[in-house]
Amino acid sequence: MIEIPYLLSLLILVPLIGTVATLFLGGKGKNAAIVAGVFSVIELILALTLVFVEDLSTLSESYVWIDAMGLKINFALGVDGLSILMVVLTAILMPVVILYSLSEGDRPNYFHALMLAIQVGLMGVYLAQDYFLFYVMWEVTLIPMYFLISWYGGPRRHYAAIKFFIYTHVASLVMLIGIFATVFQAATVNGYIDFSFAAVLAASPAFSEMFQTVVFGLLFFGFIVKMPMVPFHTWLPDAHVEAPTGGSVMLAAVMLKMGSYGIIRICLEVFPEAAINWQWVMIAIGLASMVYGAYACIAQKDLKKMVAYSSISHMGLVLLGIAMLSPAGITFAVLQMFAHGLISAVLFMVCGFVGHSLGTRDIPLLGGLAGKLPYMSAFMMFSFMASLGLPGLVGFVAEFGVLFSFWEFLSGSEYAILIAFGPVYMMLTAGYYLWAMQRTLFGKETEKVDLSHAHDLRRSEAVSMGILCALIALFGIMPLLATDFIAPYADYIVAIIGGV
Amino acid sequence: MMLEYVWLTPLIPLLCFVIIGFFGNKMKEGGGYVAIFGALVAFVISLVASYEYVTGDLFAISLPFVQEMNWLTIGAHEINFGVYIDSLSCVMMLFASFISLMIFVYSVGYMGHEEKKRRRYYAEVSLFLTGMMGLVISSNYLEMFVFWEIMGLCSYLLIGFWSFRHNEGDTASENAASAAKKAFLVTRLGDVCFMAGLFILLNEFHSLDYAVVFAQANIAAVDPTALTIATLLIFAGAVGKSAQFPLHDWLPDAMAGPTTVSALIHAATMVKGGVYLVARSFPIFVQNPDVMILVAFVGGFTAIFAASMALNNMNIKRVLAYSTLSQLGYMFLALGAGGYLMAIGMQTGNNELIGLGALGYVAGVFHMINHAFFKALLFLGSGSVIHSAGTEDMRKMGGLGKKMKITSITMLIGSLSIAGFPLLSGFWSKDLVLETALAPAQHGLGAEWTFTALFLMGIITAFMTAFYMFRMWFMTFRGDEGEATRHAHGESPRSMTVPLIILAVFALGSGLGILFGLSNAITESLSCTLGYLHIHTHEGMTIAEDIFTNVWTYVSIVLTLLGMYIGWLMYCKKSVDPGRFNKNGESRLYKLLTKRYYFPQIYNAISWKLGYGVAKGVDYMDKEVIDGAVNGLSNAVVGAGDSLSAVQTGNLNNYAAWVYTGVIVLVAVIMAVFIANGGI
Repeated sequence: MIEIPYLLSLLILVPLIGTVATLFLGGKGKNAAIVAGVFSVIELILALTLVFVEDLSTLSESYVWIDAMGLKINFALGVDGLSILMVVLTAILMPVVILYSLSEGDRPNYFHALMLAIQVGLMGVYLAQDYFLFYVMWEVTLIPMYFLISWYGGPRRHYAAIKFFIYTHVASLVMLIGIFATVFQAATVNGYIDFSFAAVLAASPAFSEMFQTVVFGLLFFGFIVKMPMVPFHTWLPDAHVEAPTGGSVMLAAVMLKMGSYGIIRICLEVFPEAAINWQWVMIAIGLASMVYGAYACIAQKDLKKMVAYSSISHMGLVLLGIAMLSPAGITFAVLQMFAHGLISAVLFMVCGFVGHSLGTRDIPLLGGLAGKLPYMSAFMMFSFMASLGLPGLVGFVAEFGVLFSFWEFLSGSEYAILIAFGPVYMMLTAGYYLWAMQRTLFGKETEKVDLSHAHDLRRSEAVSMGILCALIALFGIMPLLATDFIAPYADYIVAIIGGV
Repeated sequence: MMLEYVWLTPLIPLLCFVIIGFFGNKMKEGGGYVAIFGALVAFVISLVASYEYVTGDLFAISLPFVQEMNWLTIGAHEINFGVYIDSLSCVMMLFASFISLMIFVYSVGYMGHEEKKRRRYYAEVSLFLTGMMGLVISSNYLEMFVFWEIMGLCSYLLIGFWSFRHNEGDTASENAASAAKKAFLVTRLGDVCFMAGLFILLNEFHSLDYAVVFAQANIAAVDPTALTIATLLIFAGAVGKSAQFPLHDWLPDAMAGPTTVSALIHAATMVKGGVYLVARSFPIFVQNPDVMILVAFVGGFTAIFAASMALNNMNIKRVLAYSTLSQLGYMFLALGAGGYLMAIGMQTGNNELIGLGALGYVAGVFHMINHAFFKALLFLGSGSVIHSAGTEDMRKMGGLGKKMKITSITMLIGSLSIAGFPLLSGFWSKDLVLETALAPAQHGLGAEWTFTALFLMGIITAFMTAFYMFRMWFMTFRGDEGEATRHAHGESPRSMTVPLIILAVFALGSGLGILFGLSNAITESLSCTLGYLHIHTHEGMTIAEDIFTNVWTYVSIVLTLLGMYIGWLMYCKKSVDPGRFNKNGESRLYKLLTKRYYFPQIYNAISWKLGYGVAKGVDYMDKEVIDGAVNGLSNAVVGAGDSLSAVQTGNLNNYAAWVYTGVIVLVAVIMAVFIANGGI
């Protein structure tokens, strides 16, 4: 394997250059998509080389950014078993989404530039090894997403965009307070203010339990709003309903994962004692989100809103897995993040397509689409089945692993908790998907919507969904491809928690 | 050397699925021949591999053939993917692939008019075959669960094949799509339990491999209570898949699918999955005799419960569906009673009881095989009838025998066989089942009343079976010509009649297998998994001797003949008017049966209240309470008239300014505190 110098920096730079290039070169027709596509493919190739690197820690990069008045901020990047899947997921999704959005006609250069800008932020968040950089990148994802919703969204886009912005912004500011507290506390140990992960981690054993518990709470709040967990979730369905398909895909598939990533990366690594104190809160919020989200799905009339709520439900499973603080729990929580990334991307593409092709996503108005739009229906069925945890696909493996780790964690009368929540979650998930399919795909062809202009998938759309479906099946059949990366990291972090 | 390549049996149909899925429209018969080829290859491999195994060294020393590779690591637990072949797997492989082959051939005639939809049909049945073959060769529970669910998916897709069609004469499911949903959800309820059972097994044994879970030393080391709960949960999975009471109600609705699907999935193969699961898990089930009583009871009760609903149904496929439920109940009854004997035998070290128990196990598996043949035959026969007459309503048929000679004769053989007419296949296995059911009571092993009651249920079911099968046969093929008969096309094409004839041969003769070593082969599977046990049971001609020296055999023969005779009186000779017994369909019992004991209504009410009812509440909570609080909070912070819900444009800067100011102040405070105090 050829070693690429500055690989991690390139992973951030390539989409950044791509953003600018798309903005200026992509004025006409499909130019924007092509330019953005080229950059995203380069990015994908770069990201895939990571998979073949034997020792990921050799890739770490660090450049001094600010070093004055006892304050050190580095442009530090690194990748490990936790972040590699997220980086690869982001890199895979971007060209696929650009391909899907090939026919975006409204100011395509801005659209694709914003998508790449989101990728800059996402890569930054997953690669950052410095709290300041982490926070900056976190904010970088926020702003292009805000514009994507408010420029390209549906009728209530301004409301949704503002709600999205304020919710996640308030959350990230609370998180910022947590970060400052952490860094300054570390400074009292280290003697100088250093924002790098390494410096804080080195100082973290000296943090008092009280401090840990409080700051864990601040950061945790910031992260679960992003995931989002009940009861801080209501921004998500609104944002999704109004967001353009490409934006929805990025939002659900990779941006939500920033929250769960943050919990593992910061909350668990730096505040292991607090993690134990907060364990049952995490479990409760995870379970509540799983079941609450699933129930909310049943009541939805808008197909896309239903899928949005299903994201909440499935991210609840991620939090539950993290809360186990065990190797299996964390491994499969991360696998669930990856799985949900792939699956929700297809889900949102399908929903976006229905709205685009038929002019409505209102389930009661639809019906009998299987005959009229067979390819779309096949993808809808596949993604719904994948999402409800059909064995053989990646979602099942993750679900099985997380629920098993929960079972392992419980003892005595606590089993009642799993017995109360697990079946309800699984039955409801199957229920809302099958019911939605029954009403949209099957039965008599609807007469409430004019189907004469309805068209089936374009080739570009079918190919982009097909790629994702193939990956969903691939990782379902060979889950070790993914878990082999995560498991060592999970062991490492559980060792930290076990060490306190 | 075929044994090393048994993994091809699921893989080749999977390839067929992919090929048909992509290119089926460009092929003849929408890819039908590819599907047939896949099934044929699967059958040939099964045949050669089974022969190799049975004649090989492993079989001689009662060991299974196992191939495994690591598939998944959950924490410290390794989960494998592999192949586990013993005589039970061989038997399952053989009949599943053979019947699939027959039904695929039949489909060429039956689905011929479906034009473009054939591709979907053949792709899905090929995928189904993958699931079935994978299920029976799996080497561990999780792998089995994967294939188990793949079958469930295919069942779902194929029940909904004609999703726009409304069900004939049924109010339980509005259309095929809702029947499909019901099938998936009800079986999923069982599957969820199954999965929980797997959690316990994985937690206790640190592996899900059969070889590990069934090893006596490992079983002895685990907590017996946990093991009992695990077996109960696994049994719940079997109950869902094999449509036993109380999760039985999806199967009658599943008849909305094409008849070939009913024959393949909902009679011959997939619904046997539950029986196979219990048979496969016998080593852990026999650890607790009470679990076995439950298995027997669920089976025995379902047998009579389902048979009662077949008594007055007018839909030919539904009669067969209830009959399937009832026969599956027999299989569980045999496994439960046999397992009970075995469990007691193991506790007391009584080898005779263990042998008797093994005979019950044989009875259950044997009935499963015979049932696969005659029920596939009956369903395909009914498909031939429906194909010709264009209706499923038996009242509109009548007199079809003259127009459809082959169909009527083959179905007569099937009906005789299922009714237990002496020497036909159903006779042997049914009487073996009944004999086993009576054995615990005869030997005074406790639970006498339960087993006596179950035996009585079983023998009454035998009578009912004979009656409703011949009611069906006479209503369809004899008597005056019904309105549909007059428009009937006549006999079906050869692609349909040839499989009927072949299956009829098996329905006639497959029972004789028990006299020629089949019981020995099936018992050997128990020896494989319960290797530490000395299993000595009756085999071959001794079984025939047992059956014919047992007085109850003659009672059941008489009851069978009586049932057939009453069917003849009522529906052929018509000298007895059935209306006399049910006040012309007005009696309460009659209505109870047509309403299926109100199970559909109860299910609907529960799922509607627990599902949609709560969901509405959650939705309200989201919109009013949570968003209400958010809006209220933003009102309070930013001031009235500027609330979040009212924000349209332009206020973002205000918000940002507010929030940033607050944060800067906070950060300043934190810094000050830290620098002044040197940390918290």
